Amino acid sequence: MNAKDNLFEIIKANASQKELNWIETKASGSLQSLQTAFVATPRFISKTPINTFETLNGVDFKTWTLDKLVRAYFLASLSDLHKEVYTKTLHTLFETAENNEAVALISSLVFLENPETWLLRATDAVRTNIGVVFDAIAFKNPYPQEYFSELAWNQLVLKCIFNDKPIQRILGLDERANKELATSISNLAHERWAAGRSIPPQAWRLVVKYLDETIFEDIKRLFDSESQNDQIAAALVCKYSEFETAKSKLEIHADLKDKTKNLTWSSLEC
Amino acid sequence: MCQKESEIKQNPSHFEGTAEEHEMSKTIQANYMDYVKGMKFFDPHIHMSSRTTDDYTALVDAGVVAIIEPAFWLGQPRTGLASFKDYYSSLVGWERFRSSQFGIKHYCTIGLNSREANNEALAEEVMEILPLFLYKEGVVGVGEIGFDDQTAAEEKYYRQQLEMSKEASLPVQVHTPHRDKKKGTELSMSIALEHGIDPRMVIIDHNNEETVESVLDKGFWAAFTIYPFTKMGNERMVELVKKYGPERIMINSAADWGISDPLAVPKTAALMKIMGISDEAIKLVCYQNAIDAFAQSGQINVSDFETPQEIDQSLKFNGNTVLRGGQIPRVDKNSIFIS
Repeated sequence: MNAKDNLFEIIKANASQKELNWIETKASGSLQSLQTAFVATPRFISKTPINTFETLNGVDFKTWTLDKLVRAYFLASLSDLHKEVYTKTLHTLFETAENNEAVALISSLVFLENPETWLLRATDAVRTNIGVVFDAIAFKNPYPQEYFSELAWNQLVLKCIFNDKPIQRILGLDERANKELATSISNLAHERWAAGRSIPPQAWRLVVKYLDETIFEDIKRLFDSESQNDQIAAALVCKYSEFETAKSKLEIHADLKDKTKNLTWSSLEC
Repeated sequence: MCQKESEIKQNPSHFEGTAEEHEMSKTIQANYMDYVKGMKFFDPHIHMSSRTTDDYTALVDAGVVAIIEPAFWLGQPRTGLASFKDYYSSLVGWERFRSSQFGIKHYCTIGLNSREANNEALAEEVMEILPLFLYKEGVVGVGEIGFDDQTAAEEKYYRQQLEMSKEASLPVQVHTPHRDKKKGTELSMSIALEHGIDPRMVIIDHNNEETVESVLDKGFWAAFTIYPFTKMGNERMVELVKKYGPERIMINSAADWGISDPLAVPKTAALMKIMGISDEAIKLVCYQNAIDAFAQSGQINVSDFETPQEIDQSLKFNGNTVLRGGQIPRVDKNSIFIS
């Protein structure tokens, strides 16, 4: 089955008969009717949470509502169109999107034809300051992990850290950790420290694999921090790192070593 | 009542009041918000895109819980369709988000304003994209549309947009002209009736003493804009509510890029309270009537602003945790320190 049919199966299990009738009428209509249906969905479809354990193209629907799912289905229904018309239609939907429509579009990127061609829309969502739209690309969305360049990926993660957002909800967070990102996090910490501010302690999980003499200076500073969570972060970095100096440093801080024995990064998640 | 003693001295009026009244007017000036404590307000016409975050903070403090931002002329004429498209998008996108950061529910009306209807080539293109926006969530009407110079082009696109409102089952927010207002108001109403639109679906805006009676008699909603110098003052407004009662009457600030007052609704409510208008009537004029009129769109869910909002911690931007713990960060305007 293709994405469209799979999405419809989940909709069937969650929608009322009246809602299903409306969806079917619109899905079999003209292109204009489909486009209008995408916009008008919340007028006819409830915002009830989706109840399913299924995942599709790497998307789990735990935080989805029915109106969003129906919008994803309408988008997937466009895939039969001629390529040029398809592209033009989607651009129009992106460019005229209200916030909830933008969320539906960004959350559905992996259900679109040739998802890689929509990269600029995805990175635009990282650039937005509208919280819900940014969250739609950042969290529980398989698109960035699969299609973002290292530069785009790092911008996404850094913006999350910068805005105190929960990075653990980014899919592929550990898999796509990289040296460049580790350095940027260290630089961000220095800027914040100079301003008398701090970075969220769990951001340091991303430097574990790239610990060197320079970044280790930051870890030492965390051990001396007044914040308990900074100290725990320092201990966790040393606990997971292969860097020898880090290992011996942890031995010196026996109390923290003991304290973090049963802790993981999830203990610091916000 | 004369509010300012200083003004009385400069311009002795027909009624100068007693010493107690002078004292009372000074107290009222300083504490007008005390008269509307605990009241909720709905401003059905305010152009927040032209306002600052200070205004949003002031609105929250004054009890304004929801607003409608009508699409209008930006002062600088638009020269291309993309400008319209981006403006409409911002009304359902960025501005809606900005407002949510302060816990104010933001609705809008979408339409081609009367001034720019006169650029016919562009107006034609705008007509094509309007339906894309009219069906969006939180779009509670077609507006603000109507007459400015009362030209043939203005009439043409007013009629077209009335038809669109019928098609979309949306209320219409009608701007009435500054010049030749009475004639323009009558014309707007007769055209709406000619198109078979129920007057209960039409909000005639920017009324004054000269237009209100006809608007109410014909069954339309009568909105009043409390706007310094050019539109209604709020003392006149109080007199109108006394004369006509609160039914189908609503007030708004129409605050925009001009010298205007975003607190026009709560301030007028306070003045009504002081002048002895009942709480029930104040609620109708400053809150309920606007909701009843625009909720005919099916796009207003009062629980979105009547029950205290769960603050969504994901609504943070630019490193500012604007709504952390439900508290709007305060900037101490008198402090030299910015931290």
